Amino acid sequence: MHRRQFLASATAVGGMAALAACAPGTGTTDDPTGPSSDEVDTDVAGLGDITLRVWDQEVRGSQDEAITALIKAFEKKFSNVKIDRVKQSFDDLQKQTALTLSGADVPDVLQVNNARADMGEFVKAGQLLDLSGYAEAYGWSKRFSDSVLSKARYSKDAKTFGEGSLWGVPQTGEVCGIYYSAKGLKGIGAEPPTSWDELRTVLETAEKAGELPIMLGNLDKWPALHVFGPLQAAYVDPEQITKLAMGNAGGDWTDAKNVDALTELADWAEKKYLGDSPNGLDYDAAWADFTKGTGVLLIGGSWLGTDMAKAMGDDLHFMAPPAGVGGKVATTGGTGLPFSIPAKAKNQVAAAAYIDFITSEDAMKLIAENGGMPVLDTADLAPEKGVNKEIFEAFDTVSNDGVLLPYLDYATPTFSDTAGATLQELIGGQSSPKDAAAALQKDYADFTGAS
Amino acid sequence: MSTRAGNTRTRRRSAPSAVVRGRLTPYLFLLPGFVVYAAFALYPLVRSAQFSLYDWSGIGASTFVGLGNYADLLHDGGFLAAIGNALVLIIFYALLPLAIGLLLAAVLRRAQVRGLGLFRTVIFLPQVVALVVVAVAWKHIYAPDGPLNTVLRAVGLDSLARGWLGDPGAALPAVGFIGTWLEMGLVMLLLLAGMSRIPEDLYEAARLDGAGPVREFFAITLPSVRGEIVSALVLTIIAALKTFDLVYMTTSGGPGDATTVPSYEVYRRAFELKDVGSASSVAIVLTILVFAINLLVTRIDERPETRGGRR
Amino acid sequence: MRVSPAERTMNYVVLAAFAVFALFPVVTILRDAFSPRIGVSGGIHPENLVDAWRIGGFGASLGNSLVVALIVVVVSVALSLGTGYAFGTMRFPGSRVLFPLFLLGLMIPAEAIVIPLFYDLRTVGLTDTYAAIALPQIAQSIAFGTFWMRAQFRALPQSLVEASALDGAGPLRTLVRILVPASRPAIVTLVVLVGLWTWNEFLIALVMTPSGRHRTAPLGLANFQGQYTADNALLAAGAIIVAAPMLILFLVLQRHFIRGMIDGASKE
Repeated sequence: MHRRQFLASATAVGGMAALAACAPGTGTTDDPTGPSSDEVDTDVAGLGDITLRVWDQEVRGSQDEAITALIKAFEKKFSNVKIDRVKQSFDDLQKQTALTLSGADVPDVLQVNNARADMGEFVKAGQLLDLSGYAEAYGWSKRFSDSVLSKARYSKDAKTFGEGSLWGVPQTGEVCGIYYSAKGLKGIGAEPPTSWDELRTVLETAEKAGELPIMLGNLDKWPALHVFGPLQAAYVDPEQITKLAMGNAGGDWTDAKNVDALTELADWAEKKYLGDSPNGLDYDAAWADFTKGTGVLLIGGSWLGTDMAKAMGDDLHFMAPPAGVGGKVATTGGTGLPFSIPAKAKNQVAAAAYIDFITSEDAMKLIAENGGMPVLDTADLAPEKGVNKEIFEAFDTVSNDGVLLPYLDYATPTFSDTAGATLQELIGGQSSPKDAAAALQKDYADFTGAS
Repeated sequence: MSTRAGNTRTRRRSAPSAVVRGRLTPYLFLLPGFVVYAAFALYPLVRSAQFSLYDWSGIGASTFVGLGNYADLLHDGGFLAAIGNALVLIIFYALLPLAIGLLLAAVLRRAQVRGLGLFRTVIFLPQVVALVVVAVAWKHIYAPDGPLNTVLRAVGLDSLARGWLGDPGAALPAVGFIGTWLEMGLVMLLLLAGMSRIPEDLYEAARLDGAGPVREFFAITLPSVRGEIVSALVLTIIAALKTFDLVYMTTSGGPGDATTVPSYEVYRRAFELKDVGSASSVAIVLTILVFAINLLVTRIDERPETRGGRR
Repeated sequence: MRVSPAERTMNYVVLAAFAVFALFPVVTILRDAFSPRIGVSGGIHPENLVDAWRIGGFGASLGNSLVVALIVVVVSVALSLGTGYAFGTMRFPGSRVLFPLFLLGLMIPAEAIVIPLFYDLRTVGLTDTYAAIALPQIAQSIAFGTFWMRAQFRALPQSLVEASALDGAGPLRTLVRILVPASRPAIVTLVVLVGLWTWNEFLIALVMTPSGRHRTAPLGLANFQGQYTADNALLAAGAIIVAAPMLILFLVLQRHFIRGMIDGASKE
């Protein structure tokens, strides 16, 4: 192409620019105001034939089966409602949700991550329905403890996280802890650790015995957060961690304690406790390998238990991390992703009824039967034996006697991205603990300073 | 671009062509295509440029910030890494396939081997497979206990085995190598097209002078396919700069930002970090980069010949 | 031309080496697709394909891909015939500015336009429709199609059009009755290329269909990867399902296609 022609074309394109005069972002705002408790309509049978569109990320064995069973029961109870369910992985749902909620074609119910990056942003944009009215009408505030619901509460401007209106209701509980294979521990002549020092000894012994001490697949960037969370609690006061994780002012990532925790993680990586290349291994491939006998410990979320137990049976065990600062057990966990209703949802009445149905006491039983961990009555619903019994007990102990720390990526709209990349670099040895702390602090301080 | 000006120019000045009398007729044929093209390619490009001047989260009101987004890019670690990575990827997507493609095309031209067509088809095959599928296949090959490491360990190269996509030094070349695998067939085919037009008597003459295959290649083949080399470079460089699918599916730009590329940054900023203005500014920089590299590469081709009056 | 036996052997070695390299990932994934799943004993497991089809909902996503590919191919090829016809056989003021404008489209990456496309089409309520996935791809294909068909029409002997004029045919009839039949190989190649690109397109399909109702096959696979990465066999089976239609199409048409590519490339 000749230059003169190129210039002529460029001029023509430039001319079109003049046509495009209107600035981006002049769309209409949604109305997020939900009904108050006395205007709430709970009559689903009278709605006529409808299709309720539900999006969730419960793709793992136990939870998938529980949801399938619940949907069947719901459709039986309300024969005029047909449920159109779309399930996809957490990552995919998270990406999809941001695009979808801004459009007109939204599902009626969907799972939204509690984080400021997700729920916080959607609340700020008025894209979710305020569920406070429904909560009162259906008695959700009585059904759930304050600490559970607070993780789905934001002020209407989304500046405050933890109080204010209710934007979602969780169904399951989650806790990050330590999985181990009884045979694996025995093979290196070790016992389940009861303190952090014992844990360190186990790691050292495993490494010397030529075993992989901790199985971690961190290709997806976020899994390391579930290892670092419990480890952080060994150094840092839970109250501090909560501030940092909720993105409320008053914390400092660069203080000595946090740097110590980051240093230990880097140290583990350097000593190959996390394997040769945790950053190159897929999250799901990691636990699959663990079930085949690679690795002595796996630090991760309770949601993996059922799938891993299918392959490992009674050999698989779970424990909460050893007690941290102040002798209290503190670890990352809380509730599963809450179910929310988009402000533009067409069938809000049925949507609220669905959320009520899948979080009811009967539903909790069904979840437990299918191997998931319900957020309510966890200790009572614990199975007789197996890894899930240990998981349920660990959750119960941590929630009642210890502290369930919020996920670190709740903190700011960009924290998931920042923390994921930072921990990858820390583990990979490209960044020092000090630099990592500084990077995390920058994201946190930029956000808390601005709001 | 074209060489075939031909006799259309010299015919009757008035009518657009032998069968077209009306002066407006050419525009009627152009119009439908142009409207769709302008509305869904040119106009959005202009809008991108406009978006890049605003600070906007994709929701609600936007703020005009002038060139602020571009200024921010200058000291944005993620963006600079992406540009650097893209330049490295060009080596793997364009230069390596060019070297391989030249070798293969030269061999195929001379070869007289049986099953020539089969080789051509097989080596071109990667082009046909969806990148998403390619990513699934290679992600598995690069896994810590995947086929690549199995092979390395089997031949005693244990020290080389690693989680290729998670190793900060290895991840980018690993992604790039997928590009080499993808593009070599395309480059080969383009060059083969060029070589098929070289008159056989040129080679006969060279052979009479006693030229072997190597001298023949440098004296005759290589200069004759300069045009095709340029086309191949343009296509593969564009492919290198818009490696979105592979990065999205294999590494999400990690570890850290070791494999992030401008096209992935566009998506990440717009739809994950919800910074539409910054994403648009990256998109515009990416476009300018593509245009600039194209102009540069095309100039290499045109310089000697434009004087010779190609048109 | 004579080639020494030593060189011929070398040629074989080089070609065979790269053929193996090209096939290696494909073979790996084929092998994985039929390997046992987690907790299943050895042997060959073709039922993986069936399970992957069912669990991944590939019936629906392949159907969506087919619809989108058909729309894009038919519309963009039809429109490119028009633009290529005008640029390739007619003289008119402005052609030297307009043609480069079309060529520009060859260089505009989808990344550069996808953001405003999403927000602007959302404003007019077009996201989550086949149109939203198809129109941007039609626009990009027109840029290429114009370039491709112009080269093809220019390469045809001028006498074709002149003879048609003597028969008293108008411009449209000349195009449809004379030029198109004479250009069949080039058009077939264009159809295959556009079909291939559309089938494999990821970013536009990803962004323009947030509700997931019109999810195309590559997206279906990406989604499937999120859910089943632990089960490599199932994932590989899904990958085979998505890649198969284009692989088969290519293998069936490979002779025409590769010849068309070679002819087309040398027309520039």
